[in-house]
Amino acid sequence: MTVALSDPAGVIAMRRDRVTLRKTVVSCALLAVTLLLAVILLSLVGSEQLPVRSSLCALLSLGTSPCGLSQDQFDILFQIRLPRIVLAAAVGGSLATAGASYQSLLRNPLAEPYLLGISNGAAVGTMVALVFFGASEWSRPVLAFAGSLLATLAVYRLARGRAGATPERLILAGVIVTTFLSSVIVFVTTLMDATRIRSFTFWLLGDLSGTSKTLLPVTIAIAVIGAVALTLNARSLNLLMLGERDAFDLGVEVGRVRIVVFVVASLLVGSSVAASGSVGYVGLVVPHLARLSLGSDNRISIPAAALGGALFVIVADTVARTVIAPRELPVGAITALIGAPLFIYLLKRA
Amino acid sequence: MLEARDLTISYNDRVAVSNVTLTLSAGEITTLVGPNGAGKSTLLRSLNGQVSRTSGAVLLDGQPIEKYSRRAIGRRVAVVAQEAELRFPVTVLEFVLGGRFAWGPNSGWGWETERDLVVAAEVLAETELTELSGRLMNELSGGERQRAVLARALATEASFLLLDEPTANLDLAHQAMLLNLVRNRCDARQTAALVVTHDLNLAAQFADNVLLMKDGKAVRSGRPHEVLTPELLSRVFDIEVLVDAHPITGAPRVTPLAVPRTGEIK
Repeated sequence: MTVALSDPAGVIAMRRDRVTLRKTVVSCALLAVTLLLAVILLSLVGSEQLPVRSSLCALLSLGTSPCGLSQDQFDILFQIRLPRIVLAAAVGGSLATAGASYQSLLRNPLAEPYLLGISNGAAVGTMVALVFFGASEWSRPVLAFAGSLLATLAVYRLARGRAGATPERLILAGVIVTTFLSSVIVFVTTLMDATRIRSFTFWLLGDLSGTSKTLLPVTIAIAVIGAVALTLNARSLNLLMLGERDAFDLGVEVGRVRIVVFVVASLLVGSSVAASGSVGYVGLVVPHLARLSLGSDNRISIPAAALGGALFVIVADTVARTVIAPRELPVGAITALIGAPLFIYLLKRA
Repeated sequence: MLEARDLTISYNDRVAVSNVTLTLSAGEITTLVGPNGAGKSTLLRSLNGQVSRTSGAVLLDGQPIEKYSRRAIGRRVAVVAQEAELRFPVTVLEFVLGGRFAWGPNSGWGWETERDLVVAAEVLAETELTELSGRLMNELSGGERQRAVLARALATEASFLLLDEPTANLDLAHQAMLLNLVRNRCDARQTAALVVTHDLNLAAQFADNVLLMKDGKAVRSGRPHEVLTPELLSRVFDIEVLVDAHPITGAPRVTPLAVPRTGEIK
């Protein structure tokens, strides 16, 4: 088969060999609709049985009409469940976006905020904020961001050997940073009073129950802005995924993109950890599924991972809060249950 | 025109390239030969601004290369390196379209234009990869993969091609095929190419000019028969060689005579 140089048919035939804007928009729209449906339907699920019809009616009226729900039922739906589900979506979207970007930038399918110790950095920041600046709610995300950025830089520096960062070296660097920061966490925990320790251990494993009204909009805004910012760097990341030197040769400003990804991804991880502790493996499972089903092009896999991550954590959290109701599991336990076997599979294949 | 003028590059106190002057002119292939550690790759990498100079200058159309943005350089100078390890599945077409990055907008989602696709279709046809465009890069053979790396460089439509041991992992037929593709591009579009290679015979056969380097210094540059002489080669490579004329092309043909024992290589 030959392609005549001016024949647009040859160009059209190439459409199936690459990701197009059209395919991206259609896939993301489908994911967004699924996400919206999940938000609505899963808010009906919980330890307290709510009347389905009235709840749907109230949700579709956007909370303007109770539709026959009692005040208690209305509050459960709008003050407890919905904020928690929306937070789950923001956290899942943030972590999956960060994971997808780290993987491309570091050329490592195993890179993940939790496994690299970046979530632990944010956790240390959050705990320092709680212990020393307990009164100020804002100090939590700010110090969490600082913590995740410092942890990112530490892992990056440790992983970069003379021969560049091999996948194994990066994971080892992550293990070292993780264990070191875990000790710091234990140390900071001893500074807390005994009654709070239990809730902190729960929070560390990922806990979406403590939704803060002030911080929720911030977490959502960071998730959205972060996903957009990283999607706009997706074409550079496509080349970085193939090698830093190649990317440089082809015209990518490697240093600038690296800083953007480090800062934005740290912001995403910091805001999620400040809101919900360390929900692990989301950044591994979701980007991997996105690439598997839609291809490696970051222009589709980053936005798809953002939406898919939101969906994944909403579902995981629904399981976490219903499976042993009225008690709850940390959502991080559910995501790790799914993520750890996948990590082993990916490690074996690498 | 892309040129290095009195270029010196040192790392810490080790001088990798010392006072080298080199000009790449339109339509010509220059090969860069010399022993391991002669500074060939460093010189090549300085020509697109990746390795920064200690003194001297690299001039792209008369302007110091530092004055250009990364994208501007990416549109003018393309590098073909030995294939890097791929850790993510990418189709051949996606890989080749990477060569169009520098032509894309500075910001935004950055989807390829119709023109990008036309250029990709052209270079895929040129490198005989059209039928493989939907295959994953890691499913290709070594020769096909190296052709895809060349196709990506050609897709940049750069006027200067820098090839760093492009044939190192290829068998005889694929070596010649790859360099033929470079030759054709240089003839058709007045592209200039610099090829770093260890294969002196390949250098002689495809080059308009040869630059022979040792210990960071340019030993001699000129037409292949002026540079690839037995005296110079024995001195530079520390090995006795026989140089005769290729029976068909007449290009210099280099045959090593005595094989040095360990310890004799300086």
